[in-house]
Amino acid sequence: MHITRLSTHHFRNHRARDVTWSPHLNLITGPNGAGKTNLMDAVHYLCMSRSFVSSSDRYVVSEGESEFRIDGDFKGEIRSEFRVSCLYSRGEGKRIFVNDSPLDRISDLIGMVPVVVLSPEDRKLTAEGPSERRSFLDGLISQISSKYLHSLMKYRRIRKQRNRLLQEFEGSSQQLRSLLEPWDVQLVEEGSNIVARRYEVLSAFRQFLVDQFKALYEIDLQPDLTYQTFCEPGEDVAQIQQQYEKVLASSREKEFERGTTLVGPHRDEVVFYLGEMELRNYGSQGQHRLFSVALKLAQLFYYSNLLEDDPIMLLDDVFGNLDRQKTTILLDTLQKHPGQILITSASEAPFRELSATPGSELLWYRLEDGELIEK
Amino acid sequence: MQITSEALERAVEQLAKLPGTGRKSARRIAMYLLKQNKEAVFELADALKELKTSVIRCSQCGTVSDTDPCRICGSPKRSAHQICVVEEFQDVYFIEKTNEFRGRYHVLGGVISPMENIGPDNIRIKELIERVGESGEEIREVILALNPDAEGEATAYYIHKLLKPFDVEVTRIAYGIPMGSDLEYIDEATLSRAFASRNAI
Repeated sequence: MHITRLSTHHFRNHRARDVTWSPHLNLITGPNGAGKTNLMDAVHYLCMSRSFVSSSDRYVVSEGESEFRIDGDFKGEIRSEFRVSCLYSRGEGKRIFVNDSPLDRISDLIGMVPVVVLSPEDRKLTAEGPSERRSFLDGLISQISSKYLHSLMKYRRIRKQRNRLLQEFEGSSQQLRSLLEPWDVQLVEEGSNIVARRYEVLSAFRQFLVDQFKALYEIDLQPDLTYQTFCEPGEDVAQIQQQYEKVLASSREKEFERGTTLVGPHRDEVVFYLGEMELRNYGSQGQHRLFSVALKLAQLFYYSNLLEDDPIMLLDDVFGNLDRQKTTILLDTLQKHPGQILITSASEAPFRELSATPGSELLWYRLEDGELIEK
Repeated sequence: MQITSEALERAVEQLAKLPGTGRKSARRIAMYLLKQNKEAVFELADALKELKTSVIRCSQCGTVSDTDPCRICGSPKRSAHQICVVEEFQDVYFIEKTNEFRGRYHVLGGVISPMENIGPDNIRIKELIERVGESGEEIREVILALNPDAEGEATAYYIHKLLKPFDVEVTRIAYGIPMGSDLEYIDEATLSRAFASRNAI
């Protein structure tokens, strides 16, 4: 799957209206602040319906404007050609159109064009709290399973309703228990689906991570990950449900006291290791950086191994932070990916020796003063 | 800016409150009405007034009606053995359009949703249980036709539990694939639900 044309209107400070892309390697170089990331983010919007930089759509609208629009033409194996449009206005919010017909749910977009992003934001992935890793995991699975995404959204809703009861209910704990029951049943059902799927995907993903990290890091340290949840995870949903019910029942008093749901996949954690060492607490800056690169490359190859259509890979401002040797390894690895790659960089140096290999096109743009010029 | 007609502005303001109408379309409707003859506009105004003065709720099923009991609850042709539980009165209209169901209805007037401060006591669950209890053994089946979202399912579960002591069968409409659609275009969640509730042929 690849994007052939992108056009934006009132999207951040991006002025170049119409951009055509190569199905393989695309480079955008230019000074910092020229708007390279905006181009990447516009493509990301058309794949994931949101920004990978800003937390809210509001911040993405050009200053002084009240709406933005992004259109992209895509070409793939399963669907030959189609157009995705994302419209946002302050009053009406966000709407997504595929071939000019609106999607009932924005979430229906997810997975249509699989995408992997590597950006400086990924520093958080290995260094910060568990919610960063949960959202990586959710993004990883949602793009390959709409059922997972559906479970996730339903679980979130059930948990909100349940939390509200736990917070606000004034009555006997017996009454509260009978009011909670219809939510508990659903919490266990959807929550267990989520845990089983996370376990299943991580078990397969792990090997991709190991391979990618080992290719990048010359020191012999075995990378690893473990998935931690409220029980011993596995693929057997019925067994997880049983455990879930048990743990939920034993946490009831505590939940009444704290007024919030204490057991479930919303508290899951994925722990990354290098050898015996827990990366989050003991990894060096360089190790963190390489680990997040390996995670995203693993995601890329996990997808292309699994899906008919190759995902689009976005690398935003990544090369400035890598030494020469790592840069070479990364570029070599990327050239093995048959799908589309979009790279932004302030420096041109890493790409000087890069040339189009037979059968793969290379398109190089320079972005300066808002103008995109083919190099 | 100078407003030339207060009455027109008032009409626009009222129309703009309707669902699906912004100020622009409200103004268009107001201008249209202004150009119509008096009788047509008065007819519309009367119909709107009537809506609030003549339409009442059926004391049995809770649906909107001009009569009490409503035409469905009062009809001898409708089976008293089956009750179909729905969220809102417009659901009655949708099910009636199919001409498939020959029993009676029970309109809950909402679903359980703590976030909106709607508990079981705020919707007509108690009335349903009473209806089943008072009917003796006349009501044999309660069909739950609620939306398959978190709130609809929580409500279905709650009702099912309250009905357990009674000698009544509780069923739920099937989740499935819309007629005329292609398997290829069905999302995974719907498809796996449809699989789980498959039937023998």
